[in-house]
Amino acid sequence: MLLKKITYTNRRLHIHIGLLLVLFIWLFSISGLLLNHGDWKFASFWEQRKQTKTITSIHIPSGLDSTQIIKNILLQLNISGEVNNVKMNADSVDFSVSYPGHVNNIHTDYKKSICVQNKLSYNIWGKLRTLHTFNGANKNNPSTTPNWLLTRVWRFSMDGVAIGLIFLSVSSWIMWYKIRKEYAWGYFALLVGFLTAIYFVILLRS
Amino acid sequence: MKKYYPSIRALHLYFGLLISPLVLIFCISVLVLNHTDYINNRYPIQNLPVTKTHIDKIPYDTSDLQTAKNIIKKLGVKGEIDFIFQNDSQISFPVLLPGFTTSIKIDKQTNDVLITRKEEGAFRATNFLHKMPGPHNAKLRGNSFFMQNWKLLADGVVYLLLFLSASGIFLWYFLKVERKLGWVSILVGIILFTGLLFFLLT
Repeated sequence: MLLKKITYTNRRLHIHIGLLLVLFIWLFSISGLLLNHGDWKFASFWEQRKQTKTITSIHIPSGLDSTQIIKNILLQLNISGEVNNVKMNADSVDFSVSYPGHVNNIHTDYKKSICVQNKLSYNIWGKLRTLHTFNGANKNNPSTTPNWLLTRVWRFSMDGVAIGLIFLSVSSWIMWYKIRKEYAWGYFALLVGFLTAIYFVILLRS
Repeated sequence: MKKYYPSIRALHLYFGLLISPLVLIFCISVLVLNHTDYINNRYPIQNLPVTKTHIDKIPYDTSDLQTAKNIIKKLGVKGEIDFIFQNDSQISFPVLLPGFTTSIKIDKQTNDVLITRKEEGAFRATNFLHKMPGPHNAKLRGNSFFMQNWKLLADGVVYLLLFLSASGIFLWYFLKVERKLGWVSILVGIILFTGLLFFLLT
């Protein structure tokens, strides 16, 4: 009785989690293909990028630490995003602010009280590509965590989609096991899938 | 349309079972990529002892890649050759396998070879596979047999995943019992998806 209830709930969850995630699955699938096929001409983005340069006068109050300085600059410029590549100098600061499809390289000169923004904006293909990889991770400093709320939210949803897909995979095995006599080729399909995964993840390096 | 139901169901089931272990690779790697710090603390990379050896002659060839291929063949190293650096005094490049990196550095004057190896483990192997072939170093990528196969496999998994999601919608639509709640699931998905993209992209 309990087993029947578990398999019934499992099936229902498989259907509804799958439907809930379908748009996310399409997004990550298509953007994954774009990242692996940089030679697809229709999806080129770098050549179509828009570059704008803006110079703004700015006032940096004294006595602030590096984080406060950057926050202050962002506030004055009225921009937000994930901040990275920070380089602090005695009389200037350089950093970039990004969100999917946009990168803003900012140079602020304290002495001249000016801020130079070099902004790159990508087309829809570029936005899709950056959505796939936008998790606030810093390759050179893995201990850094995202510093923008929306990066954290997006990273959390990436985790959610991954966990959802893990559930869809495992639940499919349970669903198939119940009807394995009618679908006997399932043994073969699952075995081939597992052997392939084991080969790439474990056997190749041993 | 309903006449296609049995065949779509069979294809959904078989393709789903076939790619499910590979989907697990991509999903686990997402968690690894998003929580690198945790993985680094829990499963640190192991640096294996450095090997020093010598080759009688650098097997120069028509291109840097071909030369690097000849070198790893001579040294008995297997994997995907990554960025090749060469100047007057040395030639160096990493050779990659999922979860294992070998770095080769050859002194051009003495032909001395320094080989460093890193055992990165199964989690980083999924991470590596997720990123491959990827957008970088496209001219060099796919110079090993395993990478050529993985490239095809990664594409295949994505196309089948697209098929599975489309066929899943088809199969759900014919399940009258689940139709109402299914619409709710789709609607919640649309709201979450568009809401997130709206805030992220504007």
